[in-house]
Amino acid sequence: MIHGNSTFIHVGQIHVDSAPAAISTVLGSCVAVCLYDIKLGIGGMNHYLLPFWNGNGLQSPKFGNIAIPKLIETMMMHGSSERTLQAKIFGGASMNISVTEAMMIGQKNILVAKEILKEYNIALVAEDVGGQQGRKIQFDIERGKVLLKYVTRSDMISRSE
Amino acid sequence: MEDIKNQEVAFLSRKILELNKKLIESDKVKSRFLSLVASELNNPMTALLGMIPHLIPDSGDPREKTFHLVHEEALMLDFRVQNIVAAAEIESGEIDISYSSVDVSVLAKEAIEALKYAIEAKNILVSIENTLDKKIVTDAKKVYLIIKNLLSNGCLYGIESGLIDIGIHQDDKKVVINVKNQGEGPNVEFKPQVYTRFSEGPQGVHGLGLGLSVVRDFCERLDGSIDYSVKEGSVTFTVTLPLETAEPTSDANGSNEFLFESFDDAIEL
Repeated sequence: MIHGNSTFIHVGQIHVDSAPAAISTVLGSCVAVCLYDIKLGIGGMNHYLLPFWNGNGLQSPKFGNIAIPKLIETMMMHGSSERTLQAKIFGGASMNISVTEAMMIGQKNILVAKEILKEYNIALVAEDVGGQQGRKIQFDIERGKVLLKYVTRSDMISRSE
Repeated sequence: MEDIKNQEVAFLSRKILELNKKLIESDKVKSRFLSLVASELNNPMTALLGMIPHLIPDSGDPREKTFHLVHEEALMLDFRVQNIVAAAEIESGEIDISYSSVDVSVLAKEAIEALKYAIEAKNILVSIENTLDKKIVTDAKKVYLIIKNLLSNGCLYGIESGLIDIGIHQDDKKVVINVKNQGEGPNVEFKPQVYTRFSEGPQGVHGLGLGLSVVRDFCERLDGSIDYSVKEGSVTFTVTLPLETAEPTSDANGSNEFLFESFDDAIEL
C-alpha cells in the first residue's frame, strides 16, 4: 500500500520526490532508471525512449544520455552523493519482434544506463530488463522498493513506446 | 621549510573549497534557470502586454505609429520568451500536460491575433478552414504554441502578399492541423534538420531555431506527430493529435486509470 502521492511519468519526464510518495510508469522498449538515496530517503525516476541524443532538436530527457545524468544531477542537488545512491533499472524489452532494429533499441537503452551508472560510480542493486514483455512499475519511495508487473501487448498499445 | 609547505597546503585547500562553493553556486544558478526565465521574464511581459492596450492613441495621433511598433516588439518578445520557457521545460524533464476541453479554432484565431503585425507587415492573408465541430481534450497552452510557431514560420518564410491556410480537420481517430504557406521549402538535406535548435533558416535568415524543436517535442508529448510536405511552391506543416472528446474528469485522463489496477501480486525489487 502506497502512502502519499503517486506520480505517473511519461517519456521524457524526470521526477524526484521524497517519502511518502511513489512514482510510476509503463515501459516497453523504454528504460526507466530509479535512483534511491538510502540516507536521505528520497528517490527519483526517469523514462527515456532512445539511448542517445542525436544532436538535433532539444536536449530532451527522452534520450538516455541526457535523462540519466540529469536525474543524477537532480538527486545531487537534493543533497545526494554517489555513495548513498542506489540504482535500479527496468524496461528495455523487445516489443517489435519482426523488426530487428527495434529489437536493438531496448538493448541499447539498457546498455547506456549501465555505462552511465558505472561512470558515476553508482551501485546498480536491482534490474529487470530485456525480454519481450512490457512492464509497469511503481517506485515506493517510503521503502525504496520497486513493484513490478508484466503487461501484455494489448495493454501496452498507445500507453507507452 | 615544513611550515611553508603546510601553509601552502592550507592555502590550496581553502582555494579548492572556495572553487567548490562557486561550482555549487553556478550549478544552483543553472537549475534555477527555468524558474528564473519563467518569473523574471514572463511576469513583466504579462504586465506589459496587459497595460499596452490602455495606451492606444486616438487615430490620427502622431504617436500611433510608435505605439504599434512598441506593441509589435512586445508581442514578439513575449513569443520568444514563451519558446525559451517551453524549451527549458522540455530539457529539464519537468514538462507537464494539463488536459482540458479545447476548441482548436479558437486557439488558431488567438495565434493570428498575436501575430497580426507580422502578418500585416508582409500583407499576408490568413484563412481558417475548420471542419472539426467539437472540442478535443488536450493541453490548450501547448497546442496554442504549436499553432503560433507554425503560423509565425509561415509568415517568416512565406512570400509577400501570399496566403496562409490553416486547416483543422478530423481524420478517423485523429485531429489534423495543417498550416500551409506559399514559398520555398526548408533548405535542408534531411527532414529532421528542420527541427534542430539554433539552426540557420533558409536564405540565411537567423532565428533562435527553437520554434520547430519545441513544436516537435510538444506534439510527441501530446501523443501526436508533425511532418511537412513541399509541393508546387507551397509548404504544408501537418500536426496530428489524438482525437479525445471525452469530458475531462480529474485524473482519469491519460495513462493514470491504467495504474489504478493493484500491484498486489507484483514482483518487488
